[in-house]
Amino acid sequence: MVVRERKTETRLAVELCGIPLRTPLIPASGTLTKEALGEVEGVYGAMLPKTTTPAPRAGNPPPRVAETYAGMVNSIGLQNPGVERFLEGLDAFDIGLPLFVSAAGDTLEEFGALCERLGADERISAIELNLSCPNVECGGLTFCAGPASVEEVVAVCRRATGKPIFAKLTFEGVVENARAAESAGADALTIMNTIPALTIDAHRREALVRGGLSGPAIKPVALRAVYDVCGAVEVPVIGSGGVTSGIDVAEFMLAGATAVQIGTASFVRDPKEILSELASYLDKVGLDTADLMGALSS
Amino acid sequence: MKFYGVSVEERKASGRYTVLRYRWPGLVEPGQFVMARAVGWPVTLDPFLARPFSFYDHDGEVASLLFEVRGRGTALLDRAHKIEVSAPLGCGFQLGSSSGKAALLGGGVGIAPLKILGRRLTELGVPHDVFLGFADAPTAGAARDFPGAGMATMDGSLGTPGTVLDAVPNLTEYGAVYACGPNPMLAAVKRTVGPDRLCQLSVEERMGCGNGSCNGCAVPVRSGGYVRSCVEGPVFRAEALAW
Ligand SMILES: Cc1cc2nc3c(=O)[nH]c(=O)nc-3n(C[C@H](O)[C@H](O)[C@H](O)COP(=O)(O)OP(=O)(O)OC[C@H]3O[C@@H](n4cnc5c(N)ncnc54)[C@H](O)[C@@H]3O)c2cc1C
Ligand SMILES: Cc1cc2nc3c(=O)[nH]c(=O)nc-3n(C[C@H](O)[C@H](O)[C@H](O)COP(=O)(O)O)c2cc1C
Ligand code: FES
Repeated sequence: MVVRERKTETRLAVELCGIPLRTPLIPASGTLTKEALGEVEGVYGAMLPKTTTPAPRAGNPPPRVAETYAGMVNSIGLQNPGVERFLEGLDAFDIGLPLFVSAAGDTLEEFGALCERLGADERISAIELNLSCPNVECGGLTFCAGPASVEEVVAVCRRATGKPIFAKLTFEGVVENARAAESAGADALTIMNTIPALTIDAHRREALVRGGLSGPAIKPVALRAVYDVCGAVEVPVIGSGGVTSGIDVAEFMLAGATAVQIGTASFVRDPKEILSELASYLDKVGLDTADLMGALSS
Repeated sequence: MKFYGVSVEERKASGRYTVLRYRWPGLVEPGQFVMARAVGWPVTLDPFLARPFSFYDHDGEVASLLFEVRGRGTALLDRAHKIEVSAPLGCGFQLGSSSGKAALLGGGVGIAPLKILGRRLTELGVPHDVFLGFADAPTAGAARDFPGAGMATMDGSLGTPGTVLDAVPNLTEYGAVYACGPNPMLAAVKRTVGPDRLCQLSVEERMGCGNGSCNGCAVPVRSGGYVRSCVEGPVFRAEALAW
């Protein structure tokens, strides 16, 4: 068995838009802080900090997080120090891996200017567009409210930078939106973000958190979205949503994903375990990660 | 986040609370906390998140937690023989700069960090008094572990009637005040102590991750916006907080 003799390093490696990744795992934006980087050495193939916006954002008042069965609901409100301070602190995320940056704006113009700013920074290998934020010029509908909106914002960002751009889309209308992003020039698609959700504390009779659901609870939904999108576009897809074990990673890659993001799971597990579960799975089936992609037996 | 499986070495009731001990040979600072849960992945899909608890005590080898059973997470912890804990997290009380005698104020289960804090102050030779506030006599049973502490109960059944602040005869004699308890109590402590003395508060905010990654545990600060109580806190200088 030639495959079994190959080093784990090469067996885990994938390539995303021409960028070599040591492992197919990427931290989902907003779920890994620079203070915790020491704990995740060797796990990820690229770095991806929390979304940055043109101006600082204070974020939403607490409570911001609540638990649900197999997941959590968050309403953080894109708290971040704004792009200039973000870039000043960016070296903290340089741990020798390709650096991806997540960007969001309130308007098309902001998205364009932000991509130009980030695109000019040599440390950054690719830009992920967080399109689930509201477009203030469209009555607060999100930028991924429909294919026309997605196409418009991706086109603006495409003109602003030559760096690879990933369009991060939400579940609703995902296949149409994915086609729109691809035709506007996105180099890859991140599928998907959290799902709208609410938690209520019946004992106190109060609404707790109205925000986005993440964690294992949303995995089958994300898997379906990835599978459907992979059948509809040519560009690589990065899976995100509920990935919690090495087997989950394999499932997303079998559904067609090139790389997979770990978010909420990293709050309740050591992501190193996820990588070693993936390695054991590969051993068992005698495959490399690169062979897994879309390799469902029909 | 990395979790370590540890055996519960001892469990005892303390008033209405539970004290649980486990071996932890690493360093622990007073005011630091752990994320803890009953049993490990993948049995933990519900409850999904680990829960934050202040260190109650640590003697260099064995750590203990003091907790109140509130919901499912703590109910499971109350029965578990094996638990999973994170390494110690957050910034604890700053002990160096205290001037003169210190007052340690705890409300309800917020008495937890005062035990390890008192131990450390004694080691440092800092004179201090402990004051505890409880709802009623049964919960006040937890005061047994604090010999010599002043006490108040809200229902007046034991000690001074009222809040922990009512149990302190003369707050002005203390150069430093350390407090932990429900946020309204901490706000009252901040008001009463005023801006001229060192006052450090251990705040309680809901947490997702416990290690700074999720931005969930936001606390409003005077300098504007929010900071994460799990990394920048959970202990803050009173004047830094915007409440
Ligand atoms: C830094 C820090 C240190 C803490 N130290 C201790 C400690 O030493 N001992 C101790 O007993 N508790 C401590 N807590 C609180 C403890 O984390 C909660 O009691 C616990 O999470 C409740 O979990 P549960 O599953 O039992 O309850 P849940 O089922 O999660 O909730 C039960 C009820 O408690 C409320 N609740 C849950 N979490 C909180 C919270 N963080 N603040 C206010 N209300 C809440 C819910 O709204 C609900 O009504 C600390 C919290 C923080 C942030
Ligand atoms: C606390 C928290 C904060 C998040 N912040 C962001 C963010 O700033 N930008 C973004 O694009 N997605 C953000 N997300 C969404 C995640 O990146 C991810 O797409 C989503 O949580 C689903 O994956 P998961 O189930 O693995 O967490 C956040 C999620 C969580 C739980
Ligand atoms: S609990 Fe996640 S940042 Fe503090």
